[in-house]
Order: sequence, then structure tokens, then C-alpha cells
Amino acid sequence: MDRRSFVIGTTASAAALAASPAFAQETFPSHAITIVNAFPPGGANDLVTRPLASALEQTIRQPVVVETKAGAGGQVGAQVAASAKPDGYTLLSHNNGISGYAEVDKLFDRQPKTTRADFIPLARLIADPVLLLVNSQQPYTTVKDFIDDAKKRPEAIVYSSGGLYGATHLPVALFEKATGVPKLRHLPTNGGGPAITALLGNNAQASTQTVSATLQHVKSGKLRALASFGATRSKALPDVPTLKELGYNVEYYLWVGIFAPKGTPPQIVSTLSTAIDKAANTDAFKSAIANLGLDIGYLNAKDFAAFWDADAKRADDAVKTIGRVQG
Amino acid sequence: MESTLISLLHGFSVALQPDNLWYAFIGCLVGTLVGVLPGIGPLSGISILLPVTFGLNATQAVIMLAGIYYGSQYGGSTTSILMRIPGEASSVMTCIDGNAMAKKGRAGAALCIAAVGSWIAGTFGIIMLTLIAPPLATIALRFGPPEYTALLVLGLIFLAYMSSTSLVRTLLMACIGLMLGMIGIDNMTGHFRYSFGLAELGDGIGIVPVAVGLFGLGEILATPSHKVVGEVIAPKLRELLPSRQEWREASMPIARGSVLGFIIGIIPGSAHIISSFLSYALEKRISKRPEEFGKGAVAGVAGPEAANNSASTGAFVPMLALGIPTGPITAVLIGALMIHGVPAGPQLVSDHPDVFWGFVASMYVGNLMLLALNLPLVGLFVSLLRIPYAYLYPLIIMFCVIGVYEVSHSIVDVWIMLIMGVFGYALRKFNFDPAPLVLGLVIAPIFEQSLRQSLIMSNGNYLIFFSRPISLGLVIVSIGLLALSALAFVLNRKDWRTKLAEAEVGKTP
Repeated sequence: MDRRSFVIGTTASAAALAASPAFAQETFPSHAITIVNAFPPGGANDLVTRPLASALEQTIRQPVVVETKAGAGGQVGAQVAASAKPDGYTLLSHNNGISGYAEVDKLFDRQPKTTRADFIPLARLIADPVLLLVNSQQPYTTVKDFIDDAKKRPEAIVYSSGGLYGATHLPVALFEKATGVPKLRHLPTNGGGPAITALLGNNAQASTQTVSATLQHVKSGKLRALASFGATRSKALPDVPTLKELGYNVEYYLWVGIFAPKGTPPQIVSTLSTAIDKAANTDAFKSAIANLGLDIGYLNAKDFAAFWDADAKRADDAVKTIGRVQG
Repeated sequence: MESTLISLLHGFSVALQPDNLWYAFIGCLVGTLVGVLPGIGPLSGISILLPVTFGLNATQAVIMLAGIYYGSQYGGSTTSILMRIPGEASSVMTCIDGNAMAKKGRAGAALCIAAVGSWIAGTFGIIMLTLIAPPLATIALRFGPPEYTALLVLGLIFLAYMSSTSLVRTLLMACIGLMLGMIGIDNMTGHFRYSFGLAELGDGIGIVPVAVGLFGLGEILATPSHKVVGEVIAPKLRELLPSRQEWREASMPIARGSVLGFIIGIIPGSAHIISSFLSYALEKRISKRPEEFGKGAVAGVAGPEAANNSASTGAFVPMLALGIPTGPITAVLIGALMIHGVPAGPQLVSDHPDVFWGFVASMYVGNLMLLALNLPLVGLFVSLLRIPYAYLYPLIIMFCVIGVYEVSHSIVDVWIMLIMGVFGYALRKFNFDPAPLVLGLVIAPIFEQSLRQSLIMSNGNYLIFFSRPISLGLVIVSIGLLALSALAFVLNRKDWRTKLAEAEVGKTP
């Protein structure tokens, strides 16, 4: 082998090596995609992400695996996804929680583990409005009754939530701020299910929970829905007024979105969002969501980004209203 | 009553259709495998198979997924008995006496008793579920934070009966367990406690990695240091079956375990984990020969195994009657039903009788299938013990690592297991029993949370524990037990624990 052919050979192979990533980008995806689900099985994230994954397999023509990395109110999963290689093969399924961590960490003088800047929003899959619910043994039939009594007896009405600064705690803070009621007494539990159980057992008198999680209990008469935090009335509960109608400027949804880690190349992001767009519009996905009692709240990457900005402001605001809890 | 019978018959006509039978069988088979493989719990099994059910109808889906759940409770005892590795939190207690029986060459008997006990308890649970689900469910709802607190106080008092070592050692272990249980985010204020900046520690230390490390890995690490008697336990077929004496010793514990487990199982929350602990302590408390526990007492296998199976059936009561999940597994089952357009809840029985009664009937059938699956396998499982340690133990360690990782896909959990393995080795060397530590770890987070929740509800007034009937009852039982022990102390009667402590003092040079 003479020197010239050596040089040519080396240059050629170097060029080939340099070219191969570009080649890989063009044919994205070439192997299975993993969606990290930051919440435990059985929760809204799990129930929504799994049908999406099976619909996405059809539109992106690669296996899509849902991997549960639950813990610390979704922070574990967010951290896993944020530190994954940003090549489009690791995505994140997360919810409202992803917005508020940084603000909560600020409150406790902690270094935030992830911030909103670590993620690129790809799509919002659902947006489930939250209801203001009371146990049916309680006398309240309208929001006005509730507010009047809360003002008369400050810190006497107990409300349950799925966890401090969580997605079902923040709406109460927004409600308190908008209606001017003094603080209600907070009973934190460890998850949406236990919070509803506490309300059903009248161990808490009120709670803010999603339509899909509580529709059964409202229909059976065990719980009474006083108002909805949605912009419009829920189709499933047309008699329940929205807080906006009643003159309180509050809006709050529990949403589930899909994210890619920061640094994912733009072409891959657009391939992914197109594929998710198609998947979210398949009949299979739509009927799975409808069966869950959820309204499809699909937003594409651009609309979701705008919504996320507005929603994160609301979350930050609510966290600041709650402040540090004295234990 | 008559209408229940007619509905149940209708349920059987659904459950006995060939394809439904097939899905029940698949579920039970997968459940048994999931239970036998250490670490891989029913939760991961069910959520992995959830998408597979998208093509089935709701009845088939729930029959299959529930089969995995109660099937895993049968299988969970196998590794506990043979290798002292608890497949999940509820089989921790089976490790102790089950494995001691195996060492005495009664592995087959222990497996048989566990399988039959599970079957009896499972069937008892379903009969209760069929007859009195709706009224029971309302009682379950009354079980709020104060009742939980009172139940856990009772659990802590039972701790004294948990261990086969002296009271001081038991309490020391329990304290370490309670302190480990403090790790994680404080639910009431949002502070991280002892988490060292690891988000994975935010939810506290998992029970499975600790139990697998302390019992399984600790045992394996300890093996090379004592003389391994080269002989392999190779029982004859007749010796696989329990003797008449063993059946007699097992019968009452199975009955008590079934009732206790069912009652605890219907309580929403994580109470079902403590059912096997409470059953073990109860058996030891009322046994005439408590010193045998830890050395292969039949009652120590029969009671807890019955209790955890009956609790897993009891967990269906609030799920089916109210749509309330008692734990993560029932939450996944509710989700599976919802994906198929069948909301679990008070209307389930009237709106979807096929699903409800078909599901209930399939559990009778499924439990029979599990018995038929498990009894013939006893011989096969026992022959695993013939594999020489040099090959068997590295394989077990591998399974422990994979299994623990699989529970929550966390490498931190694997480290916890390895550290606990070394700790478990040290405990064995110094003759400490790890069971109270695990119970402490189970109880601490629930106890702390429910105590503080109760005080939030009452605005800081401790009288809340005495003003609610269920919690008052539990407090009275606790006080009674303490009074009994105090009486024994006053009358200066030596009980088995004092004797144990004296024996220990005598042993140490």
C-alpha cells in the first residue's frame, strides 16, 4: 500500500464516517423508539400513552415502547428523558407537573433538576378539565354556598389533593386566589386515587379532580360537582357551570403531553410531530380516548408550545400563592 | 341471595365459554411465572400485557389481567420457600418458616401447603366477594386516616411477635426499618429527606429491593462461610406431600389467615401488604409453641400465604363495588376496563353484568386452574434444589438484579439491593432477624402520613382516634394487648422471649 492510496483510503473512510450520521438522520427512525412515562401504571399518563404508542407504531413504522420511570411526582422520568441522548429515540410522556418543578425548587432554595428549557414540546394529547367537587353529604349545592361558608369558617373545610404542589393541588390555590376565600385546609395524599377515596369517605369535604376520574361518582350521586375549571362546559356534565361563567377568571386542565429532550435535531422533531399528528387522528386512538371518558385535547407542536407557556405561568402563579408549607 | 345465585350461574356461563377459559388460563400461567421469577412483580406483568388486550373484549381482558394478579400470589411463595427470596413484599414472611422447612427437607410439603392454603383462601375470598361486596365496600370507605393510624399502631404492637430472636433485637431491627422508611419527600411539606440529591430516593426506599437484598442476597453471601453439607436434598415423591400432622397444623392458620387477609384486603391503600405480617404475628401469638417459629413452623407458612391470597381477592371489593383502586395493581385493572369502555364503579354490576359476574365466576375457575398448575409443579420446583450451589447461586443473583431493576426500572434500586445484601449478611452473622426491619419499612411511611392526615382533619386534636368507632375499636385491642403483656411482666412470668434472651446471653462467651 503506497502513501497515496493510504491517504485516499483514509479520507474516504473518514468521509463515510462523517456522512453516516447524516444518513441516519434521513432514515429516522431506524429502530425502536422509547417513550418514557413519568407516572405509575393506571394513571392518566399511562392510559393515554399506551394507545398512542400503538397508533404511533403504525404511522412511524417502528416499534414504540412505553417505559415507566415513575417517582418523585414525575421528576424521575423527566430527569431520565432530559439526560437521554437527544436523537429522537427517547421521548417523554409527562403532564402539568413538568411546568412547576423549577418554581417549587426555587421556593426551597434547591437547584432545579430539570426546567422547561430542557424539553421540546411535540404534542398535547388530552386536556381534562378539573371539577370542584364536594361530598354529597355536604350541604353545598352551588359555588356561592361553598364560597360563603369558606369565608365564614376559614380553614375549616378540608380538601384532599394527590400531593403537595401537584396537579390537583394547584387548582385549589388558583380558586382561592380568584374567589378571595381564605385558605382551605389541605389534606395531601399520595395520588389521585387516594385523594378521591378520601373525598368519597367524607374524610375530606372537597377536592379538585378531573372529569374522567370522577364522572362515575358524580353520576352515582356520591359526589357533587359544583363547577368546572374548563373554558367551556364539559359534554359529559352539561349542567355544571364553569367558573368563568360565574365570573371567576380561572382555567385549569390536567393535560398529558409528549416531549423530546432539548437538542433533538429539527428534522427529527418534525418527523416525530408529523407521525404523532397522524397517530392522534387515527380512529383507534380516538376511540380509546373516548372510552376513557376524555375529550381529545390534541394540540400540535406549535399550538402546544403556546399553550404550555400560558399554562406554566398559571402553575408558577399557583405555586407562589401556596408558598412554603409550614409542617 | 337467590338472585345472586342466578347471576353467578350466568357468570359461570360466561366464564366457561372456551375462549374465556383460555384467557383465564393464560393469565394464571403468566401470573405463576411472574410470581416465580423473583422481583418481576404482577404490576410490571400486567402493564406489559395491557396493550395485548386492546384486541379483546372487556370481559376477556379483565379475566386475563386479573389472572396474572392472583396467579402471581400463588407463585410468589415458591422462591421464598426454596431460596429465601421474596418475590414481593407480601411473601416476605413465607421466607422465614418456608425456607426453614425446606432446609429440613420439607420443601415439597411447604409448597403444597402454600398452594392449597392459597386456593382455600382465594376461594373463600371470592365467596365473600360474591355475597357481601356492596355492604363491605361502604365499610371500606369509612376507613380513613384515623382508622389507618390505629391499625398500624396495632401492627407495631404485633412487631414483638414477629421475630425469632429476643425482644431487644427485634425492636432494634424495627427501629432501623422505621428510620429507613423516613427517606423520601415529605408529603406534607415537600421537603426532601435524606435523599442526597437523588430524585430516585424521592419516593423512599422500595420494599422489594430491601427484602430481596436482606433475605435472598444475604443468605447467598452467608453460604460460603458455613460448611455446606454436600448432600443434596432429594426427596421421594411421597415425601413431597405434607404429612397428616402437617395438614392438621396448617388447617386453623389457613382459616384464620383467610378471614384476616380478606378484611385487611378490602381497606383501600397499601394495607394489604401488612396482611401476611399480621397473620404471622397472630399465629405466633396464639401458638402453644411460639419458639418453633423461624425454625420451620407449618403455621408460619400456612397463615401468611392464606392471608396474602385472600387479601388480593379482598382488594377487588372496593375496585368492583366503588371503582376505587386499593393499590397500583387494581388501578391498572380499572384502567384496563376503562380503555374497553367499561367504567368500574357502583354501576358496574347493573350496567355490565356480563363483565362483573363473568369476572367473578372466572376467579373460581382460575383458582382451580392455579391449584392444578401449581401442585404438579411442586416436584419440578423442588428438583431445582438439586442444582449444585456453585451454579445455582450465581444464577439467583442474576435473577435478583434483573428482577429488582424490573420493578421500577431504577438502577438505584439495584444498588439498594446490593447494599442491603451486605447488610443482610452482617445481620445473619450477628444473629439478627431482618423481618421486623422490613415491617418497619412498610409501616413507617403509611403510619407517618395517616397520623399527620388525621391531625390535619381534626385540627390537631388527638381525640379523633377515640371518636370514630372503627379506630376506637382498634385502639382498644391495642391497649388490651399491651395490658396483657404488662400483666405477664407484673406476675413475673417468663415467656418465650425472655427465655430466648437468656439463651442468647448464655450463648455469648
